[in-house]
Amino acid sequence: MRAAHAPTGGTSMNRRAFFGTAAAAAGAVAAAPLLAGCGQSGGSGTGTTSQSEIEKIMPSYVPSNLIKPQYASVDGSSPGFLTYPTTLVHTVREVPGDGGSFTGITPLWASIPSPSGNTYYAAVNKALGATLTMQPSNGNTYNNILPPLFSGNKLPDWIQIPTFWTAPLNFGQAVGAKLADLTPYLSGDKVKQYPNLAALFPGAWQAGIWNNKIYGIPVFPTEFTVAGYLYYRADILAKKGLGTPQIKNIDDLYNLGKEINDPKNKQWAFDDIWTALLQPFDIPPNPPNWATNDKGDLLAAWETPQIIEAMNWLAKVVKAGMMNPDAIAQDTNSAKQRFWSGQELITFDGQGAWLGADTQSGQAADKSYVRLAFPFFTASGSGTPKIALANGTEWFSYLNKNLSKSQIEELLRVANYLAAPFGSYEYTLVTFGAPATDYTMSSTGPVLTTTGNKQVAQTYSFLASPNQVLSSPGYAATTRARAVFEQQNAKYGYKPLFYDMNISPPASLNNAMAAATFTASTGNIIQEVVRGRSTIADFQSAVKEWQRNGGNALRTYFDHIRAKYGDA
Amino acid sequence: MSATTTRPQSAAGAEQRRAGQAKAGPARRKTPWRVRLRRDRSLILMTLPAVLLLGVFGYTPMLGLVMAFQSYDLYDGFLHSPWVGFANFQQLFTDPGFWHAFTNTLVLFSVQLLLFFPVPIALAILLDSLLSRRARGVIQGVVTLPHFFSWVMVITIFQQMLGGTGLLDTFLRQHGVANPVNIMTDPGAFKFLVASQLIWKEAGWSMIVYLAALAAISPSLYEAAAVDGAGWWQRLRHITLPGLKGITVLLLILNLGYALTFGFEQMLIQRGAVGPNASEVITTFAYQFGIVEGNFSYGAAAGLFLGVTSLILILAANKVAHLFGEDGLYHHK
Repeated sequence: MRAAHAPTGGTSMNRRAFFGTAAAAAGAVAAAPLLAGCGQSGGSGTGTTSQSEIEKIMPSYVPSNLIKPQYASVDGSSPGFLTYPTTLVHTVREVPGDGGSFTGITPLWASIPSPSGNTYYAAVNKALGATLTMQPSNGNTYNNILPPLFSGNKLPDWIQIPTFWTAPLNFGQAVGAKLADLTPYLSGDKVKQYPNLAALFPGAWQAGIWNNKIYGIPVFPTEFTVAGYLYYRADILAKKGLGTPQIKNIDDLYNLGKEINDPKNKQWAFDDIWTALLQPFDIPPNPPNWATNDKGDLLAAWETPQIIEAMNWLAKVVKAGMMNPDAIAQDTNSAKQRFWSGQELITFDGQGAWLGADTQSGQAADKSYVRLAFPFFTASGSGTPKIALANGTEWFSYLNKNLSKSQIEELLRVANYLAAPFGSYEYTLVTFGAPATDYTMSSTGPVLTTTGNKQVAQTYSFLASPNQVLSSPGYAATTRARAVFEQQNAKYGYKPLFYDMNISPPASLNNAMAAATFTASTGNIIQEVVRGRSTIADFQSAVKEWQRNGGNALRTYFDHIRAKYGDA
Repeated sequence: MSATTTRPQSAAGAEQRRAGQAKAGPARRKTPWRVRLRRDRSLILMTLPAVLLLGVFGYTPMLGLVMAFQSYDLYDGFLHSPWVGFANFQQLFTDPGFWHAFTNTLVLFSVQLLLFFPVPIALAILLDSLLSRRARGVIQGVVTLPHFFSWVMVITIFQQMLGGTGLLDTFLRQHGVANPVNIMTDPGAFKFLVASQLIWKEAGWSMIVYLAALAAISPSLYEAAAVDGAGWWQRLRHITLPGLKGITVLLLILNLGYALTFGFEQMLIQRGAVGPNASEVITTFAYQFGIVEGNFSYGAAAGLFLGVTSLILILAANKVAHLFGEDGLYHHK
C-alpha cells in the first residue's frame, strides 16, 4: 500500500483491514536507536539497540539519481514522475543468481495469479538467474498466517513481514531464532557490493535493526510514511456544487458530511474513518509508541483524553446515519468498491491507495472518478496540524536462518536486482514483466497487456524495492495530485516517542504490547462505542483491564528504556 | 449441528455395535481374542481407516494441549517453554471476557437448538406425506442444496437481503423510512439471525436422516391404524413420532456434544458486523487470543476447557437418555 510506485493493475491494496494495526503497531517496528537490553539479559533478545551500536553497523548510504523527477521531494515527500523514460538503463550488469531455487511469501491485495505458465514469473526468474517461487497470500488475512508459519517451522527462504504485524510474533526473539543475520553482509561499506541496496534511505535500514544486528531488508522506503489520508470523491463533491471544500476543523467535516449524505440514493457521507481521526485529534500511535501527559508520564493512545472526543464524534456520525451501513458492518473488503461506485464519499485509506491503478478501477465504476485528500487539520481548528510519522518503512523482507552463506549472498544479489531504481531496465521488468507479452511501451510509459493484467502481480517488489517514487504511467493527473499534496503536507509529520527504535519487551509483557492495537480485543471496544453498542464507561473499564494485565508494567518498562536510551 | 454428516455413521455404528453385542452375548468372555480377531477381521479392517484418521487428526494434535500448562513461547517450543501449572486457567476463569463468551455460547446454542431442531423433523414428515415422487425429489433437492454452500456464501446472501444496503433496507429507504433497522448489525436480533441462517443452510440436509427413519416405519402400522379409524393426528402421534424417537434422542445428544464448539465460522465472519459483545463464543475467543494476538497458551487453555466441558455434557446427556430407556450413543444393558 505504500507501494505507490507499483502501478501493476491489481495492486489496489486494501489497507483498511489493517490500518488500525498499522497506526497502532507500526511503532512496533521501531527503527532502532537504542541499545540492547535495558537491564535485560542480552541473550533473551529483549531490549533495544543503542545509537552508538547502530552507527557501528549501519550500511553506508550511496544515493542514486538515475533520473530527475518533475516533483522533487519536499520535507521527505515522495518524488513524482509524470513521464516514463524511453531509454531503459541497466543498473545490474551480471546475472545475479547462481541457479538456486528459493521460495518467497508476500502479501497481495489483489487476485492471486496462477503460477503455472505465468510469463511474468518466468521472465523475472530468467533475468534473476534463479528460480524464486513466489507464493503470494491474501493481504487481508496475512497477519493470521504469520504466527503458524513461525510456530510450525514453515518459513520460506524469503518472506515479507510488515512491521505493524510483528507484535504477536514476539519479534525481538523471532529474528534471532528464525531469521538470517545480515550484518556480516551489509554493514558499513560491505553494502556497496549491492549498489541498489546501498541507495535505500538510512532511516529505513535503521528500522530493520534488532538487538544490534541487521535483519530486515527495507521495502518501499520513504521519508514520509504515515498511516494514510482522509480521501474524498472530488468529482461528486464538485457536482454537488461544493467545489473544493475547506476543512478547517472537525465541525467542518461533520457539516460537510451532513450536506452530502444522501442514503435514499444509496450515497453515504462516510466510510469508517476512525483511523483518520487520529490525526486531527492528535492521538499518538499505540505502544511501542507513546504520548506523554503534562507531567511527562507515558500514555498509551487509548489512555489519552482526546481519544474519547474522537469516539464521541464518530459515534455522532453513525447515529446521524452518515456512515455507510456496510462500513458499520465492518465489511472492509468492499470498502474500495463502495468508494469507487460513489456509495460513500469520504473515506480513509493508506497513502498507497492514491495511484494510477486506483484511478483505473475507480473510472471503471464511474467515468468521472477523482480521488483527492483533505489537507491535515486540527479538531479545534487552532494550532498547527501534526501527523505521526511511521518508521523509515513499515515493510521489511527477511531471509531464513537456515540458508547457507552462499545462498544468502545469492539472494542479496537478487535483492540488489529487485531494488533497481525507477526507470531502469530492471525496475521495468520487475514492475511490468516481459516486454510485448506482459506490457507494451506507449507514449506515457508501459501499459499492461491483457496477459499482463492477469499475470503481473506485485510480488517480487515486496521482497526488495527501490525507494518509493510516485509514478503511474497513463495517469499523470493522479501522480501530480498526490505529489503536490505530499509536497505541501509532509512538513506536518512529527516523530512520535520511540520513533525508529526496535524495542523488544520481555516475553511477560508481550501480550500487553500485542493487545495494544485498535484491532485487538481491547481496541474492538472502540468500534463498539462508535457503533453505539458499548458505552464510554465500557471502554474505560477495558483500558483499566489492559493496564492491570500488563499495560502498566509495559509503561514501567518503557520508562526504563527512556531513562537508559532516550526516546527517539 | 455441523455434525450432521457424522450422524448416519454414528447411527449405523450404534446398530453395528448392538448387533455385535447381541451376537457375542454372554459367550464373549470365553472366546479367545484370536478367534474373535479372525471372525471380525473384515469389520475391523473397515473401521481401520476411520480409526487412523481419528488418531492422526483427532488425537495427535491434542498433545499440543500441553501448552495450556506452559507459558508457551513460539521460539522455545514445547520442550523449553516454562511450565506455569494452572496459571492460564486462573487468568481465564477471572477474565470477564471469557465468561461473557461462555454465556454467549450457551445462549446462542440454546436458541439455535430450540428453533432449529424441530424444523428438519417437521420437514421430513411433511415431505413424507407427499404422494408425488417427482415433487418430493424436487423439494428435497432444493432444501438440501444450501448445505453445500460455504458459510461465507450463506452470510453474503443474508447480507444482500437483510444488510444495511441490502434489498429490504434499500426498499424501505426508498419508501420513506429514513433509518431502517439493519438486521445484520443489530446485536439484539443476532441470536435469531444465526438461527435462521442455520435453518436455511442445514434443515434440508438434517431432514435426510429423519426421512430414512420414516421409511423404516412399516406401512402396515398405518394401514392397521387407519382401519381402526385413527385420524391423521393420531397416526402422527402414535406411530410416526414414536418411530422417530430413537434417532431424535441420538441426534440431540450428539448436538449437545457440539454445544460449545458450534458455529465457529459463522460467528467469526459476523464478528465484525455485530461486534464481539453479541457474537463472541468460546471458539472465537480462543482464536482471537491464541492466533490473532499470539497468546497461544491462553487460547489453548480456553480450548481445553471447552473440550472437557463438551465431553461432560455429552456423557451426561447420554446418561439421561439411558435413564429414559433410549439407546443414546450406545446400547446400555
